Amino acid sequence: MSKPSFFSRTRGWWRSHEAVLLVVLLAELVFFSSAGRRFGTADNFFDIARHSTEIGLLALVMTPIILTGGIDLSVGSLLGLCAVVFGKLWRDGGCSPGIAGVLTLGLGTLAGLLNGGLITGLRLPPLIVTLGTYSLFRGLAEALTHGADTFTDFPASFLFLGQETWTGLPAQAWVLMVAAVGFWLLVHRTTFGRAFCAIGWASEGARYAGIPVRARVTLAYGLAGFVSGLAAIIYTARLGQAKADAGTGYELFAITAVVLGGTSIFGGAGSIHGTLLGVAAIGVLSNGLVHIHQPREVAGMLTGFLLLLALAVSVLPQWLSSLAIRRRAAQGSQSSPPSTP
Amino acid sequence: MEPPLLQLNHILKSFGAVRALKGVSFSLRPGEVHALLGENGAGKSTLIKVIAGAHSPDGGEIVIGGERLSHLTPRLARHHGIACIYQQPALFPDLTVAENIALGVQQPKFHQRMRWGRQTLQARELLKRVGAKIDPNAEVRSLSMPEQQLVEIAKALGAGARILIMDEPTASLTRQEVELLLAVVRDLRTQGVGIIYISHRLEEIFAVADRVTVLRDGESVGTEPVAGMDEATLIQRMVGRQVSAIYPPSESEPGPVVLALRGVTCRASGVRDIDLDVRAGEVVGLSGLVGAGRTELARILFGITPADAGEIQLFGKAVRIQSPQAAVEHGIAYVPEDRRKHGVILDMPIAANLTMAVWPTFFPGAWLRPEAERLHALEFIRDLGIKTPGPQALGGALSGGNQQKVALGRWLAIRPRLLILDEPTQGVDVGAKAEIHRIIRRLAKEGLAVLMISSDLPEVLGMSDRIAVMREGALAGVLPGGASAHEVMRVALGQTQREAA
Repeated sequence: MSKPSFFSRTRGWWRSHEAVLLVVLLAELVFFSSAGRRFGTADNFFDIARHSTEIGLLALVMTPIILTGGIDLSVGSLLGLCAVVFGKLWRDGGCSPGIAGVLTLGLGTLAGLLNGGLITGLRLPPLIVTLGTYSLFRGLAEALTHGADTFTDFPASFLFLGQETWTGLPAQAWVLMVAAVGFWLLVHRTTFGRAFCAIGWASEGARYAGIPVRARVTLAYGLAGFVSGLAAIIYTARLGQAKADAGTGYELFAITAVVLGGTSIFGGAGSIHGTLLGVAAIGVLSNGLVHIHQPREVAGMLTGFLLLLALAVSVLPQWLSSLAIRRRAAQGSQSSPPSTP
Repeated sequence: MEPPLLQLNHILKSFGAVRALKGVSFSLRPGEVHALLGENGAGKSTLIKVIAGAHSPDGGEIVIGGERLSHLTPRLARHHGIACIYQQPALFPDLTVAENIALGVQQPKFHQRMRWGRQTLQARELLKRVGAKIDPNAEVRSLSMPEQQLVEIAKALGAGARILIMDEPTASLTRQEVELLLAVVRDLRTQGVGIIYISHRLEEIFAVADRVTVLRDGESVGTEPVAGMDEATLIQRMVGRQVSAIYPPSESEPGPVVLALRGVTCRASGVRDIDLDVRAGEVVGLSGLVGAGRTELARILFGITPADAGEIQLFGKAVRIQSPQAAVEHGIAYVPEDRRKHGVILDMPIAANLTMAVWPTFFPGAWLRPEAERLHALEFIRDLGIKTPGPQALGGALSGGNQQKVALGRWLAIRPRLLILDEPTQGVDVGAKAEIHRIIRRLAKEGLAVLMISSDLPEVLGMSDRIAVMREGALAGVLPGGASAHEVMRVALGQTQREAA
């Protein structure tokens, strides 16, 4: 009984999806370092970190949502709305960047809770609800700026967050790291994370186990709103401007990174470290292509290819082992003596 | 003697390292009901999937009508007249009976037109053959479960089935419905159809089968005429050891009233005016026909569909139960009927399943404690005799009976004061069933109040200190533990006042 059997052992780490992705990432790094002369410099890695932070934050917060079997298409639009509101509060409202930031985070959280409330309260599918708020938030951002207004000339003390380094790393990279550790603990070390997975595997089963399903789902979307606000502030600080089109398409990059990282789109299984690897693989790819003088469109194409490849490679070992078993079984039955003369 | 319709010779089938069938031979004659018996995991499902063409065997041969085959495909199986009737009818609920039957008979080519009139006539003909009074133009969703099963059989006959596999067809039927179904089975037998009949209910096998094959651990223990068998022999063959078929006796003295219901009503789920007491140390069986509102009452008590009138008292104090979380806080545990959907999360480890109801106390501050969880799980695995490779095995890897023990263990961890069991042994093999009964008895002896819903009448009679019978959403009567099956059925059918004709 106590002897560990094949099934009770966890899968070997080299077979995991994360390991496949790590190999892909290392291959990218080796390839681009040899092909592009300035790719391997510290400055360039800082650049990758700066460009990946916002999508990284969105991918982190997308992970628990996808674990519950949901999806949030509105995070990119919410980023745009929060960026515009932040700009307006600072320029027209007379708030300091700090106060404007806190208010923006509050707005983001409320918007996320709106998603969560609609999904759990009205029992609407997350895809439909966030498709609606995807348009709603972007439309609000455009209405606030009449489609043209751009907020610029932020003080240097604020731009520091997006453009300078702090204790050796880009300032926003620290934010991403803190968020990564926080989300990793939340998902992998607390009952909250386990609740997300349980809901993703069997939402009714979780309810029958006494798990407060609605509260947990609402929490996941509320967190997404808060982090979208945070990403909006960092985005504004990085570019030094806030426009209504900020973060367009980011929701799809975030979802791609999460799925690339091995999280099942049906919910239940997945990991934060996988998501981080997914973000890195995408970030390094799009940066590296610039260094080997490839046009931007190629990045999109290759990201799609990477996603399909990673998915295919991760199911390959399973497929091979089942094939081997079949073959062995077939040989076994042939070698056994025939039953009838 | 006529040649067999179907002959399986030394069928082998493995899944990964698990050898599900280790050379099973089996034969079916025309006009025979051949029962297939075995504990869960004995290989019954695998065997019928091989026959239906869903699984390709790794070795052995299949002989149908003199033709030797190494394997079947679903198409080929259908071509040879093999049809499967499962526990849950697999019909299209939005189509009519006639349309469903026509789908099985012959699908017109895309350029042919549908002949609706002929479809209906054909359906009427086939339904008559199975003795069903069902309107061919009714939508399937409006039919009851047994009616849908008859439609399935009609569909199979329409498709020219000569070999009918029935996999636990009576699991969710009431006693009367079972009788009707068995009559149809007997009728089909006289028409020359060969029937492979799988059921956990031994009395049905004695009532209808001609021969019985017992499977154990992927091997056939033997095939014999039913006429020469008795229940004890069959059970012993299935489990390979002696199991008492009798229920463990009640050993507990009823204590104070734990749960008192006064006029409890929930309009949404059709339950009305329930007055019932359950005492500590007492097993109250909740009987009634399917659809009488028993599960609905359980769902009210567990806060899934809260009551909208009446009063629920726990230890004499009125409480409101608006959510499962509230029920858990009050010490109410509910082991649901559908264990694969609600009882355990199949994709999560046993250990995680076992702690799921005790998160707030077991994981203070929401931080997981893997080592403590492992020890907790090991304790329950030992205590309840859960057969598993280890605490990290997934719930879905266990057999039905062991899954049920996990579902039970999850709720014992909250140290409940009231335990509601909904069909605790449905689809569970004989060995695990007896173990679950012993566990229930032990819990009652320890002072737990148990409310046990069951459609298995012998179980209700054997386990209950008192029997509450529901009918059409209301409590039709409460009988003492010694009541007979006849009395319970009479109350369930509503024949208390006037004598049955």
